[in-house]
Amino acid sequence: MSTALLGSLLPLTVAVPIVAAACCPIVARRSRRAPMLLSVVALLASGALLCCMAPSVYDGHVLVHFMGHWVPVQGHALGISFAADAWGLTYALMTAFLGALLVLSTLSELGELGPKELGGYSCLFLLLCAALIGAALTGDLFNLFVWFEVAALASYALTAFFLERAIALEAAFKVLVLTTIASFAIFLGAALVYSSTGALDLGEIERALSGRSGAPVALVALGLLVGGFATKAGILPFHGWLPDAHEAAPGPVSALFSGLMVNLGVVAIARLVFEVFTTGHGHDVLGLLMVLGVTSAVGGALLALVQDDLKRLLAYDTISQMGVLLVGLASASATGLAGASYHLVDHALFKALLFLCAGSIVHMTGATKLSEMGGLAKRYPLVAAAFVVGVLSISGVPPFNGYVSLGLIHEALRSRHELTPFVAMLVSQVVTMAALGRAAWLAFFAPPARGEVPPHGQDLRAGMAAAMIALSAGCLAFGVLPTVVLAHVAAPAAAALLHPAGYAGAVLASGGSIPPVRVSFDYWDPAAIATVVGTVVLAVPCAVLAGRVGERARAVTRRLQTGSVNDYAGYLVGGMVLTVAVLAR
Amino acid sequence: MRQRPERGALVEREPTHRRGVGALVVLALGVVLGLTVWHLPREHAPLSRVAREALVVALPGWHTLEPVNEVVYGTRGFDTFGETFLLLAAVVGIGLIARTREQRGEFLGEELAAAREQHAELASSDDAGPEVRARAAEAGEQGRGRGPATPDAEPLGRAWPERSRAMTVVVRAGVRVLAPLLTICGCYLFAWGYSPGGGFPGGAVLVGIVLLAYVSLGYRRVQRVIRPAPVEVAELLGALLVVAVELGGLIFKGSFSASFLPLGQVQTIPSGGVLQAFSASEVIEVATGLTLAIFGLLGMAHDWAPPAEHRDEGSSRAPEEGRAPS
Amino acid sequence: MIVVNYLASVTLLCIGLYAVLTKRNLLKIVMGLSLMESSTYLFLLSLAYRAGSTAPVLLGPPHGESPSALAHGDVADPVLQNICLTAIVIGVAVTGVFLAVTVRIVQHYRTLDADRVRELRG
Repeated sequence: MSTALLGSLLPLTVAVPIVAAACCPIVARRSRRAPMLLSVVALLASGALLCCMAPSVYDGHVLVHFMGHWVPVQGHALGISFAADAWGLTYALMTAFLGALLVLSTLSELGELGPKELGGYSCLFLLLCAALIGAALTGDLFNLFVWFEVAALASYALTAFFLERAIALEAAFKVLVLTTIASFAIFLGAALVYSSTGALDLGEIERALSGRSGAPVALVALGLLVGGFATKAGILPFHGWLPDAHEAAPGPVSALFSGLMVNLGVVAIARLVFEVFTTGHGHDVLGLLMVLGVTSAVGGALLALVQDDLKRLLAYDTISQMGVLLVGLASASATGLAGASYHLVDHALFKALLFLCAGSIVHMTGATKLSEMGGLAKRYPLVAAAFVVGVLSISGVPPFNGYVSLGLIHEALRSRHELTPFVAMLVSQVVTMAALGRAAWLAFFAPPARGEVPPHGQDLRAGMAAAMIALSAGCLAFGVLPTVVLAHVAAPAAAALLHPAGYAGAVLASGGSIPPVRVSFDYWDPAAIATVVGTVVLAVPCAVLAGRVGERARAVTRRLQTGSVNDYAGYLVGGMVLTVAVLAR
Repeated sequence: MRQRPERGALVEREPTHRRGVGALVVLALGVVLGLTVWHLPREHAPLSRVAREALVVALPGWHTLEPVNEVVYGTRGFDTFGETFLLLAAVVGIGLIARTREQRGEFLGEELAAAREQHAELASSDDAGPEVRARAAEAGEQGRGRGPATPDAEPLGRAWPERSRAMTVVVRAGVRVLAPLLTICGCYLFAWGYSPGGGFPGGAVLVGIVLLAYVSLGYRRVQRVIRPAPVEVAELLGALLVVAVELGGLIFKGSFSASFLPLGQVQTIPSGGVLQAFSASEVIEVATGLTLAIFGLLGMAHDWAPPAEHRDEGSSRAPEEGRAPS
Repeated sequence: MIVVNYLASVTLLCIGLYAVLTKRNLLKIVMGLSLMESSTYLFLLSLAYRAGSTAPVLLGPPHGESPSALAHGDVADPVLQNICLTAIVIGVAVTGVFLAVTVRIVQHYRTLDADRVRELRG
């Protein structure tokens, strides 16, 4: 297929799930399961379309299409463009396929809910996935904001889905307040960019700002945009909504949030920082990202260590992993960016797996806290095995996928002699391993703390079991095939981020290509293996210590994460002011 | 925490949360943003090239005299496409949040967790008074048990949405005369696409008329006409029409949201071509969507309480606005 | 003197934000966010303004100009006005969801005080 034809099919990848979303509530009146089946078909169709475009995009081409044939006139673009480069396409592919898998698991687990509930759930799920795909592929700043808003609106009602749980509504309110403030920040940032450059198209903005991106208005705009998208990504101190939303939402929805939705923030930050505002023109956005990343990685891991609620623990771990992603981005080298791209995919896989396991435990037994669980491995061996696979992947143990992506990021930090971030990464990895290992032990293998195993409500459904097996297989596959994935997926994504002029030129010329970049990973690197062994050895006493001081530490965390929406909003705005002040000095 | 005011003292103390910190943070943000806007281009700066392009292409390219409509529905129609589905997501979300309890086919661990959380919460709250009063008010609203006879007899501040009763004959006659005129105005706003207006304001006017009828004619009469099931189907059809208009561009002209309908003469109704089609589908979607959202909000009843207490009350409920007949 | 408008919108934003950060009544938090939205509309429309310009409507052009001459002349910015329309729709949608969630919270917690809706903490 010619690239022009492929480009004109780009908006279909967003339109197909949207059409299915509009049909879901009507179809739900006929049959309960029909909307879910429709959702799976729509997402797979969208994924198939994306796969058609994958060969040429991963070869270095940027597929560009201007809607309605409103191509730029003398370098000024009024129309909206879709520009698929390797960085965005990776995220879009992941959204389509992982979304389909999560809908399948919901279908099997929650398939006996009422028809109106299932129709609404499928509609919102599809709209969220469509918005994430649209945001990844778009080449226009305001269009990015519109898809961000669609994703946000779909997420509010999904958080509040189980109306019988009072905490679901409390969590939905906090998500609403914090995401709305973030959306105002992004909106103001976009308006400031337009007024100072006169452009809304990302390629045109890059051209207008090149060399001038040290101007104060542009830097304030960058600060607001980074702050707004960091809220979506759950970076400390913008993270207030994340633990509450994940704790209260249904299992597959938490998997969607952590595996796909928070990544949107990081994808957007990378696109803006590397391809639009470009680095090194008199502003230190990379230093800012490094600080935010290190704070989130270490802080999120420490907060996860002392949690009692399983899903809340996993949510804090998401905050930590997003910090790791930002650190990988901030290293700005080919290895670091390839590592970040690899980690994006890996995190989606293992975090979705962990949340599906946690959600299915809540669904089958009604137990949400680790202190209520115990000894579940005998009754649910598959869930226990899948959870252990997820824990090993996060900890970076070979042969699972975390080893490769974390190894790449560590190597990037070492080769640039950035010792403080490297040590912080190691600390965060030790604490993460301790937190998750402790969770796995307490939930599945230790005898129940309260003396009795929680009641058994229903069996594990086939669809959910299949989803867990598929995700575990994915974790293993991405761990044992690093050279293939690196050469064909991660390296082109890194190349796309490292050549902003190539991206901008391609967008304005309705097509172009980006020179490739070489990244290699030495699987048997002694430093990487030593890191793994060292972290495992240090994690065990850490976990034991956490068990001892748990109650007192929880009192401290309650003073920080107070539960009051005013406080969370205060942290967010304070963080925004600091971000802008640091950038626009 | 502040102390309770003494009996008889007319003091209104608004509960606040860390005013000093809040003021400081807000002040800091205000200073930063104030300095930024001081350096923005002001009213003597020339128009940006993309804005000039939008103005220049309106008449020759779209035969329309309304550049804002042309940008919204034509040149940057893809943004409006996203926005339509933003509204759909919000309406479906409100519908989900405002839903009644449905039959669940099986055990749900979340219900156990919910019951546990609710009992912990109610046990820790020291005042059961508000719960009792609210449930009595709810029973009164639905014609069960004792409640106030008219909305005027009920003291303010009760935690309950009131159903509207009809107003006096003067208001009702006035609304009966005005409603058709206002409907024509709403339709005019989107039909004459070459003058300011468009699908969104047109839809908002039509929703306003429905609300006017609800407030003045009373809930019972409107309930017979505005039933949720057909309105929901109409909304989804409006959304699908929007997609069809955009896909038509892909099918006939090779690009999503391209203009594929013939452009009429300037200053006539079909002058924008695709702009008018998009605007019309938008009016259907916005009007029906906002109606659903508002009636969903008005119809929320409390039937998500802990299971043991509320099952028998739920079954004896009279059918109300916002329920799909199941 | 459009900079007065810019500063006014920043002031409104700060007032709305103060309500969100310090008021404990859930509805006042919603109103604070609504105020912040309105301030962004003011900001955008002020950005769109040009000195001595006319509205971007070519129907009935002033001073007897022809529509195409007006399109090349002194007109306010239509692209920012398009963005403002989108923002208004977003504001309506978000406020609707906010109110639905607030009513449900009151039904469960029987209070509008944000400090008593704090089951999830730590």
